[in-house]
Amino acid sequence: MRAQTLLVRSLLHYWRSNVAVVLGVAAAAAVLGGSLVVGDSVRGSLAATALERLGRTTHTVESTGFFRADLAAELASLPSFSEGFDAACPIVAVRGVATHATSQRRAGDVQVYGVDERFWNFHDRPVPELGRRDALLSEALAAELGAETDEAVLVRFDAASEIPGSSLFGRRDEAARALRVTVTGVLSPGDLGEFLLRPRAGRVRAVFVPLRTLERALGLEDRANVLLVSAKTREASVDALETALGEAIALEDLGVRVRGVPQAGAVQLDTTSALVDGSLQKAATTAAKNLGLRVGEVFVYLANTIRVGEREVPYSLVAALDPASLEAVAGVEVTSADGEPPPIVLNEWVAMDLGAVPGSRVTLEYFLWHEDGRMETGSTPFSLAAVTPLEGRAADPDLVPEYPGITESLRLADWDPPFPVDLDRIRQKDEDYWDDHRATPKAFVPLAVGQRLWGHRLGGLTGMRLVPETAADLGETRGLFAAALLAELGRRGAPPGFAVVPVRQAALAAARGSIDFGEYFAYFSFFLVVAALLLAGLFFRLGLEGRLRELGLLGALGYPSSRVRRLFLAEGALLSGLGGLIGAFAAAGYAALVLWGLRSLWAEGLGTRDLDLHLGVASPLLGAVGAGLAALLSVVWTLRSVQRLPPRMLLAGTLEPWVKPTPARRRRKLLPAGLTLVALLLVAASGAGAVPQTAGFFGAGGLLLAAALLYAGRLVAGRPSAAAAVTSVLGLGLRGVSFRPGRSVLCIALVASATFVIVAVGSFRREGADIEARDGESGGYRLQAWSVAPLHHDLTSAEGRAALALEGVALEGIDVGRFRARVGEDASCLNLYQPRVPTVIAASPSFIEERRFSFAASLAESPEEHDNPWRLLEREVDSEGAIPVIVDASALTYVLHQSLGDVMSLGETGVRVRFVGTLAPGLLQGELITSERHFLQAFPGEAGYRFFLFDVDAERAPALSQDLESHLSDFGFDVTETAERLRDLHRVENTYIATFQALGALGLLLGTVGLAAVLMRNALEQRGALALLRAVGYRRAHMTRMVLAENVVLVGLGFLAGAVPALVAIAPVLLERRGAVPLALLASLLVAIVVTGALVSWLAVSYIRRLPLVESLHAVSE
Amino acid sequence: MLKVDALSKHYETPGGLLPILSDVSFMKDAGEALCIMGPSGSGKSTLLHILGTLDPPTAGTVTLGGRDPFQLSEPELAAFRNREVGFVFQDHFLLPQCSVLENVLTPTLVANDAGDTQTRARELLDRVGLDERLAHRPAELSGGERQRVALARALVLKPRLLLCDEPTGNLDAASAGAVADLLFELYTREQAILIVVTHSATLSERFEDRRRLTDGRLEAT
Repeated sequence: MRAQTLLVRSLLHYWRSNVAVVLGVAAAAAVLGGSLVVGDSVRGSLAATALERLGRTTHTVESTGFFRADLAAELASLPSFSEGFDAACPIVAVRGVATHATSQRRAGDVQVYGVDERFWNFHDRPVPELGRRDALLSEALAAELGAETDEAVLVRFDAASEIPGSSLFGRRDEAARALRVTVTGVLSPGDLGEFLLRPRAGRVRAVFVPLRTLERALGLEDRANVLLVSAKTREASVDALETALGEAIALEDLGVRVRGVPQAGAVQLDTTSALVDGSLQKAATTAAKNLGLRVGEVFVYLANTIRVGEREVPYSLVAALDPASLEAVAGVEVTSADGEPPPIVLNEWVAMDLGAVPGSRVTLEYFLWHEDGRMETGSTPFSLAAVTPLEGRAADPDLVPEYPGITESLRLADWDPPFPVDLDRIRQKDEDYWDDHRATPKAFVPLAVGQRLWGHRLGGLTGMRLVPETAADLGETRGLFAAALLAELGRRGAPPGFAVVPVRQAALAAARGSIDFGEYFAYFSFFLVVAALLLAGLFFRLGLEGRLRELGLLGALGYPSSRVRRLFLAEGALLSGLGGLIGAFAAAGYAALVLWGLRSLWAEGLGTRDLDLHLGVASPLLGAVGAGLAALLSVVWTLRSVQRLPPRMLLAGTLEPWVKPTPARRRRKLLPAGLTLVALLLVAASGAGAVPQTAGFFGAGGLLLAAALLYAGRLVAGRPSAAAAVTSVLGLGLRGVSFRPGRSVLCIALVASATFVIVAVGSFRREGADIEARDGESGGYRLQAWSVAPLHHDLTSAEGRAALALEGVALEGIDVGRFRARVGEDASCLNLYQPRVPTVIAASPSFIEERRFSFAASLAESPEEHDNPWRLLEREVDSEGAIPVIVDASALTYVLHQSLGDVMSLGETGVRVRFVGTLAPGLLQGELITSERHFLQAFPGEAGYRFFLFDVDAERAPALSQDLESHLSDFGFDVTETAERLRDLHRVENTYIATFQALGALGLLLGTVGLAAVLMRNALEQRGALALLRAVGYRRAHMTRMVLAENVVLVGLGFLAGAVPALVAIAPVLLERRGAVPLALLASLLVAIVVTGALVSWLAVSYIRRLPLVESLHAVSE
Repeated sequence: MLKVDALSKHYETPGGLLPILSDVSFMKDAGEALCIMGPSGSGKSTLLHILGTLDPPTAGTVTLGGRDPFQLSEPELAAFRNREVGFVFQDHFLLPQCSVLENVLTPTLVANDAGDTQTRARELLDRVGLDERLAHRPAELSGGERQRVALARALVLKPRLLLCDEPTGNLDAASAGAVADLLFELYTREQAILIVVTHSATLSERFEDRRRLTDGRLEAT
């Protein structure tokens, strides 16, 4: 007989215990591999969902403004486009809210798309027939509104005017645009119903309306703000598309107007925003210089009053000109003397009206619009430097850009400006001037003075004049200049205001970088895997202990111990390998089960049901190899411990000899105390913030668990003193745990591991929040609101409320936090995708000083920063060009995958942020928070306030919520209770916790199996003694009591060894969250364990009853 | 008095009835002893198990102190065994997790009105020479010592009947002699009826009444 034959015979003969070992390893491999498959599946499903939502879109061309819809066709016709791309399609995409016209049911965060047949053709879909007022809804939106076909829906969306609301001529009271449409159909996700350019979890609420209809609602014609582009290959680059875009784009698409002004003999450059920003100014200057054009710079502002003494002229436009232009207008050199008011030039008309002569003191009064929404009247004295005739360059209405509501008015009295005007002040002569000269400026000041008084962060000029040095054809000059300007603007990447976004690639990256479920399930399955491996090891050990005599015999027959070890190792390796292999297949089943749970039981928390199994080879294989190797290690360890026994004991089949305590063993007794001490120090350090909470929890938890198991081991192996002899059947049962202390400790370890996971993880559950606490999860705010259209006025000031028609809303005494917002992607745990450009909000100086919410960590250095970490937002832009931001700790770690101090680039915005502080998880989980100053620098185009928080008491909250929504409905003002938002966030966390608890419960199940196996094995080995007990009068009830007692001790010790370390380890978290010991969880767990213990006891008692009494005595004695 | 009358035992097997004991009868009073010998498979242990009420007879009666235990209900039978019968087997069947004292006390834990069993157990262990080893575990005892614990356990409730199945079978000669000495000393002192089945000629020679089981019948030697 060869060694292999012996191996095969042994494997077959001991098939029962071998099958148990294989199943144990298979369970571990299935859990480990399955966890990784879950990760693969979540990533794969997220990617599939994101790609389905994109349709054929691979890239987008996005603009902050609106461009010609024809740009798509022009772009598509270019050879540079056709090389890598095959289609482009214009759409209008805006965000809004939708309301059912009848039921008034409301849905926020709605994607509003204006599309035409080009959209459906682009995606190779049949073109639906849509009338002018027809709309298609996504399933989610239809469901939320309860909207059926032929029912009316009101859609409100933001339509920021091209002139910035933060400038004097911008519309601040402009509400969201509204469109009443009739639902003609509901689109399923497969029919592009959930079309979405930025991946995010959850169903998409979308409405598709005809492009022309949406354009009209926006006051536009043949305009779009997004081009969808489809690449031919994956290699098609952003650079290639930017190059093609540069070729196709026209100045009109950039909101730049260039026209000839014959009476001025110049080419005029201005913009639809009425402001020329720095980059455009620079490009225009360069282009003009290259063409030999002289550059004139203009900044126009409105003076409410031009006053000399008691005489005044109302509502006059004032032009601030560069020195050369000012001199040309004045006819003399205009200089300012030190200590004197700045110079001003008036035209004859106004000078005469005011009776002003050179040297007169002229006072200008004007409105100043502050960023925080306040408007005040400013006044500056000037010294009249010259009076210029109302002719030539001084009679040029084209210096003034188009101001809607002003420049197109036929009469002065018809003005409809975005600021208050007193029409009673307008005289007939003013109307006459307007009739004759329209918006021609009446006064001229030096450019530097005008910029100082009225300059805007978005641009220091309202227009530019490009003057040929010699007489030239203005049409030709205009064409040359426009071409040169375009070339200059397209020199670096996408043109200003445009961004080319590789949306497909970004979606795949967002899916890959999402919350790594594989990692989390592997982490939290760790105890389950350990439980399975312990079980496999236990079965292997039980099998080996049943073969002690065989081990002894082989030794007695002269087998070297190494040979014996190899033989048994080969068995173990084969069993581990087989278990791993089976586990690899079972991994798919485990993953499918978890995914089913995520899709059904826990779908509410995760916000998606679109999770499918994505099965590869690598993950199951990795699980199989990992579990197989771990099992083999367990086999080696078991074999070593058994082989240490002397041959005579092995031959006698005896285990666990009495070992005289040695100094080393006595020292080992100190180990649990040492571990406990270190763990408690870790807990204290974690509580004091010296050690990260996670490290503190896992470190202390692991050490305490180990210490608890050592204590338990000592307890079960303890020697009874003669005086403490058992006096009852229960006592005798308790003594049963000492029969095989090693096995008992394994059982305790199985139950303890599962209990530890369930209790520790369960303690992180969040139920409700203290809304009143300013340093709590809600920051003390009871209501929060998002506005589709930004509010420029201050809700808390009387004038702000008046401007917003909120006089009837009781806002007195309510602390309102208002935040500017650049709406991007959700950075909260509600979003399974990794956001590329998260939403950024701006904290006002007053909010910073209020010290609301709690900080988890910060980069505070100075005492002021330590005292109030919000002040970190006041730090300057750092050397890496990053602005300071504060973010929710959970979002930073789990959603953004960044750390405190890291710098992150916000996608195509070009903005870089540094995380200088983290908030304890709470209300502001979805946003990055910076200061207003940094926000305005980073996102100069974002005007007004979109996000609001209200610190209001519970009694006033419902009425306030209703009033605000009703009064500000035109702005798409959506108010929710912060408790509701927190509940949503908690639900996600609690979902994760529930899944991990379910894994813990599986661990408990494995523990139960192990416990049953141990009890039955113990009974089998003690069958003689048990039979003797029955022989001397022990009845079934006595046996049951004994088994129960043993069981209670094992599961009880397991429960305590798991629960106590868990509670101690999480104490800092409980204290921080003002949480209580999860008594309900502990109680329910105890019930589960009692039920489990009862089940196991029943199994063991049944087994013992089936042991034949006489044969048990006979088999050994005869 | 132990009275065994026309006791028979057979098992049903696929090959038909397998007779083990046939018409076995004898009587023993308190303080008397009987040694039963016979080859392997002769039915010695079966007879012992029937006497100990662990196995019912096919025919015949067994009475102890005038009571037929096989007429008792299951709980009564367990109580009967607990109080009236003591067992010593070839294997000691000690509970390895319990101390010497605890092992001796195991029958007392299910006995009613057993009195001061602690004192009784200590006395018995004193008599078998293990009074210094009360807290020791079985693993720390020699084979002879373990069997002495088993003997003390069998006598702790002062049974009328002491049944021993190869009590010295696993022991060396010296230990076997010591255990046998104790066995006789104790049963005499306790005035129990001692029934021993053994292969050991050395042990059997100590008995006045020795009988052999041959073909299921009990014959005097």
